[in-house]
Amino acid sequence: MKADLLKRGLVWLFSYLVLIFTVCISLVPLLWITVSSFKSNKAILNTPFALPTEINFRAYASVLQMNNFLSNTFNSVLISISSTLIALLFYALAAYSFAKFDFIGKRTLFILFSVTLLIPGHATAQPIFSFINLTGLYDTRLALIIVYISAGLAVSLFILRASFLSIPRELDEAAYMESASFWQVFFHINLPLAKAGLATAGILMFLGNWNEFFYGFMLTASAENRTLPVALQFFTEQFSYNYTQLFAALTLVTLPSIILYMLAQEQVQQSVVSGGVKG
Amino acid sequence: MYKYNKLWVYLFIVPTLIVFLTFYFVPILTVFTTGFTEWNGFNAPKFVGFDNYKMIFTDDNSITVSLMNLLKWSLIATFIHVPFGALVAFIIFKQPFGWRFVRGVFMIPNVIAVSAWAIIYRFIFNDQMGLLNNFIRKIGFSDFHTNWFFDSQYAFSAISLTWVFYAVIVTLLVLSDLMAIPKELHEAAKIDGATEAQIHWRINFPLIRGSLGTSVILSVIARITMFEAIFLTTKGGPGNSTYNISVMLYDGIINYEFGYANAVATIMIILGIGVLAITTKVFKMNKSVYN
Repeated sequence: MKADLLKRGLVWLFSYLVLIFTVCISLVPLLWITVSSFKSNKAILNTPFALPTEINFRAYASVLQMNNFLSNTFNSVLISISSTLIALLFYALAAYSFAKFDFIGKRTLFILFSVTLLIPGHATAQPIFSFINLTGLYDTRLALIIVYISAGLAVSLFILRASFLSIPRELDEAAYMESASFWQVFFHINLPLAKAGLATAGILMFLGNWNEFFYGFMLTASAENRTLPVALQFFTEQFSYNYTQLFAALTLVTLPSIILYMLAQEQVQQSVVSGGVKG
Repeated sequence: MYKYNKLWVYLFIVPTLIVFLTFYFVPILTVFTTGFTEWNGFNAPKFVGFDNYKMIFTDDNSITVSLMNLLKWSLIATFIHVPFGALVAFIIFKQPFGWRFVRGVFMIPNVIAVSAWAIIYRFIFNDQMGLLNNFIRKIGFSDFHTNWFFDSQYAFSAISLTWVFYAVIVTLLVLSDLMAIPKELHEAAKIDGATEAQIHWRINFPLIRGSLGTSVILSVIARITMFEAIFLTTKGGPGNSTYNISVMLYDGIINYEFGYANAVATIMIILGIGVLAITTKVFKMNKSVYN
């Protein structure tokens, strides 16, 4: 009995050590850059563990006044939101057809769309790079918007198809009886009922677009067209030894993702699970 | 049937079909075919057979280094990253005090930009101001000095440390499988006198093999496509010791060696499908868990 108690105590201790470790590695890096953004450059270099002596937002003010920070923020907001909304509309339309109707080539198309999940993300980078150059969209916001629309194809289709499948057909039939049009049945009956799926897919795509680096880096050239994750890389050169400002910029870039996550924790976690389960 | 024009059904597919053709179908065909050509994007591609592949494997050691790194990182992913994520899932599953908080917080590194995370880690590993070295010096090794990302001895480990313990996706996948196990199974096992360890080995592990397999696939494919964590820290250096296939592809594209780049991309796709096939087999993912 005593040995049993000891064993259980050890398991308990081990469990909590693992959990504390998990929390530390997740929070400490972010807390460190946030706290440091209120310290002087000298304090950051000499006393890395110390707390700031006074709280002022000078570093933040100077980051915000920097030439391109606001336009980079604007780009990120514009590109992420518009590509997410357009993608949601596109994939909701397709998912609706897949969920509720039979048509020639349905199976083949669905398999083809699903297979895109198996292609490692950057493998198609050259053709996309050339396509953007060819269409004269290089170094424009539009280039990133259309590339990002394509990013969530398979996962969004899975999530949205499942949502539409769960909406009873009787509702559609009743509406058709009252001579509602195809579009009305989709837009006024099905779309509102698929809210949860739309939120999950939307958040997943938005976070992906907001944080995207590879294409953002490859498809833009001028400072004012960069998105925030890309601009960060150039800030590190620009600020070279002004760590206070750099840390303030890092905090400003990471904060929106964290806030969005805190507002929609359940959906984000749900979207990870549905994104991982690839049928 | 109710009256609607069948055309609508097809019309609804069209936008997605256009996206698929423009960003997946045509690009993938381009990648496969132009991998056999010499092409700089300005002239027409010239068929050269397997020359690009010969070049990749004989010109220098980039591919050997990249594949070795991929192999090592895949082993780290399979034997440290996934088990750690699963361990956290097993602990959280018991719902100890604060489990919701841990699950919530563990997700944060995953929702912020990978580029921001890479840059933060560049400073954590900085010798003078970085958290890690200062911590090591504080706990007694006052002479410790290492420039993690710039020392060929440590650069590989430093890059590994930027992701190895951030396994929240594994945790969530395993957790959802654990929660799907019928409670009766555990109760029945306990009544039959099974120990905790037996329940884990005989019931839980076989039943979560689907999510473990998915986790291995996702995390190994993430190693194939890993870009920011290298590009923003070591750029593949020192020398080319932390080079990988994604950075190789990127370098090919920006040097306008499109044929070469697409041969690399083809290798990438084949690796991805290989990982999927092997893992599906090992974890028996095509067989139903409950029957």
